[in-house]
Amino acid sequence: MSAGAATVHRALVRPLENPAAPALSLDPESREWLRDLRAEGASRDEAVDRLHALLLRAARFEVNRRRAGLPHLRGNELDEIALEAADDALMSVLGRLDDFRGASRFTTWVYKFALLEAAVKLRKRAWQGHEVPLEPETWGLFASASPGPDTEAEQGELLVAVRSAIAEALTPHQRNVLVALALNGVPIDVLAERLGTTRGALYKTLHDARQKLRRHLEERGVSLESWLEEGS
Amino acid sequence: MKRSELKRTLAGLLGPTQPEVGCDECFDRLDEYVELEVAGRDADAALPGLRAHLAGCPACREEHESLHALVGGEQA
Repeated sequence: MSAGAATVHRALVRPLENPAAPALSLDPESREWLRDLRAEGASRDEAVDRLHALLLRAARFEVNRRRAGLPHLRGNELDEIALEAADDALMSVLGRLDDFRGASRFTTWVYKFALLEAAVKLRKRAWQGHEVPLEPETWGLFASASPGPDTEAEQGELLVAVRSAIAEALTPHQRNVLVALALNGVPIDVLAERLGTTRGALYKTLHDARQKLRRHLEERGVSLESWLEEGS
Repeated sequence: MKRSELKRTLAGLLGPTQPEVGCDECFDRLDEYVELEVAGRDADAALPGLRAHLAGCPACREEHESLHALVGGEQA
């Protein structure tokens, strides 16, 4: 393993500094949210209602951003997705209130839960009923590309080298994950659900596969940087 | 395959070269990162590894774009 690859590998599994640091000084609005959500009775109920409205606003924001890519979904279905996302985000936020450290405003912190829930639901809905392609036959353009009259010989050699590296350097699981995510455009949470694993675990597999692929190519003298340079 | 298409495909296959965090850590720190960005501060210096992860993970990138748009829109 090259020094660079080792650094990257360690960096993926090493948390950023101070993830569980004591709460920072909270802004007044965030402090008020926490106080109300930790209260009892009517005050808490009212705060939970306000929180749900905030989450629903964020979930609708996400649905509206993505709706052009989901032409088969009707307006009421999109509304339902937003509502379900807000409901699920509410449960997540209430269950993780103690995780809020004050590194951002409370509203920014809760928005990300609603955006995540809505984005995951939209990606899953877009792939509902679709087979998730994992096999090499489905590598699409990349698998079928070969040196031809209009293709540079250099590009053809690169494609052959990359296809060989994918076939030789990776475990079957790494190959399936890399092909699905990086070549076939399967969303990571859709693949995680189909394979019965988590997004974090799949990204670790993807990361390891990428490192092995890069190392395998570099060891064989394949120059990658010229292909990846900005503006090339 | 056009060169631009090949470049995109290679970038997706090989991922970022810089050290990166994973998806869980990205989510944990995304709110802080976006607020620093919106405030015009150096988010990458404060939270190293997050920018590289966003380059390598389309799902986290989508969620970052949405949070940035939502929070940035509120403060505009």
